[in-house]
Amino acid sequence: MKRTVKLLALLFAAAILCTTLCACNSVPANKVFSIDDLPGKKIGTQLGTTGWTFALDYEEEGSVIEGYKKGADAVLALKQGKIDCVIIDAEPAKKFVEKNDDLKILDDPFAIEEYAIAVAKENTELLANINAAIAQLKENGTIDKIISNYIGDETQGTYQYTSPEGLERPNGTLKMATNAEFEPYEYYDADQNIIGIDVDLAQAIADILGMELVVESMDFNAIIGAVQSGKADIGVAGMTVRPDRLENVNFSDSYTTSTQVIIVRKK
Amino acid sequence: MAEFFQSIGNWFNGLKADFVLNFIKDNRWRYLTDGLMNTLKITVFAALLGIVLGFIVAIIRSTYEQTGRLKILNAICRVYLTVIRGTPAVIQLMITYYVIFASVDISKLLVAIIAFGVNSGAYVAEIVRSGIMSVEKGQTEAGRSLGLSYTSTMARIVMPQAFKNVLPALANEFITLLKETSIAGYIALPDLAKGGDIIQSLTYEPFLPLLAVAAIYLVIVMLLTYLVGKLERRLRKSDRR
Repeated sequence: MKRTVKLLALLFAAAILCTTLCACNSVPANKVFSIDDLPGKKIGTQLGTTGWTFALDYEEEGSVIEGYKKGADAVLALKQGKIDCVIIDAEPAKKFVEKNDDLKILDDPFAIEEYAIAVAKENTELLANINAAIAQLKENGTIDKIISNYIGDETQGTYQYTSPEGLERPNGTLKMATNAEFEPYEYYDADQNIIGIDVDLAQAIADILGMELVVESMDFNAIIGAVQSGKADIGVAGMTVRPDRLENVNFSDSYTTSTQVIIVRKK
Repeated sequence: MAEFFQSIGNWFNGLKADFVLNFIKDNRWRYLTDGLMNTLKITVFAALLGIVLGFIVAIIRSTYEQTGRLKILNAICRVYLTVIRGTPAVIQLMITYYVIFASVDISKLLVAIIAFGVNSGAYVAEIVRSGIMSVEKGQTEAGRSLGLSYTSTMARIVMPQAFKNVLPALANEFITLLKETSIAGYIALPDLAKGGDIIQSLTYEPFLPLLAVAAIYLVIVMLLTYLVGKLERRLRKSDRR
């Protein structure tokens, strides 16, 4: 009996310890107020993204770079005070800040980048077809409409791209590799479908080419490999055209621009 | 024929260029060596934690089974075993990092050591318990009738024999543990597997980084297997069979 009482007391103490550990809000104060503050800080990024490559430059200046599997994990670590800031593309950053009112985006953005579609080096015919399709979609304003459906306070949800009815698709499938953790470019909706700007754009291109679009989500840093090895025909994942990537794949003409931003805690 | 050699030569030149790109340029091999250090640190300390936890749990469990004492502790141990063995290690790792230590600033290495140590402890416990149970009941009875207490019978007669029986299984558990730490990348901890991942993200070449990582794991595991074999042979020397 005595033993039981002792044990219960012990369990009780352990439970109290756990609750205090969880309840006490020990998230440290924000230490990053501009780009100049990055040296020596813990920077969270998504592995393989432009933000990650950018952050790597600060490694020599004493920063610790953490490459998470997806942007949301980095944002979670930021909220919990495990890291000091997150560098990620502007539009996903806005979505994260929208959903977390303890976070904010710093004002100074980095250089403008071009988003484009990755195609295997050998596949020059597909590349030419995609460029022609992008030109056509730019011309008739479809791209602008698709983007405005996802970005912009007034325009959001006003236009949903749909394939023309009764369209023939004689030219086989178009396999798209993406990383569906990147709202608004590609993400899962409530019904577990992958939607977003890139998906609508790829659908529009597939419609013009008379092909069936198949979307596959994978780790971001696996996309170029998938395109290279022919496991996917195109990589569309809010992917910035960069020299190191051009050594391994070709990129289509750019369909939109973006920039990297820094997310920090408000306090 | 000449064409054949030509193509092989090209292949080797390509491989050499790939090797330079993946490992030599910008000192990229450092991702592998730094990662290996982290992997080894996690494995060694998690193994130590696992041994401590595992032995405690195994002793509690077998004491309960043999004497009926420590009922509540035994129940707690059973819950621990069920939960740990019933959930994937990667989920346990993420729970440790994002839930249990959510608002605590704690080094990732420590998180990984705790998560993998607690995980390994459950398996070690069952291995050690099976070892204790494998020692004949007559041994305990002999010890007890010679006037030894239960604790000293356990410590001086049963455990030494049990330990010898379970050593190979225990060593295998640590080989499994070493390989299992490759999921540490899920909490962005730069271990060996993550090192290969990082190189791949820089070069977009999956071939060499993945093979290199696999080869390093293989070499370590082979080394461990060799040592375990030696240990087993050494232990067998005292067997009179």
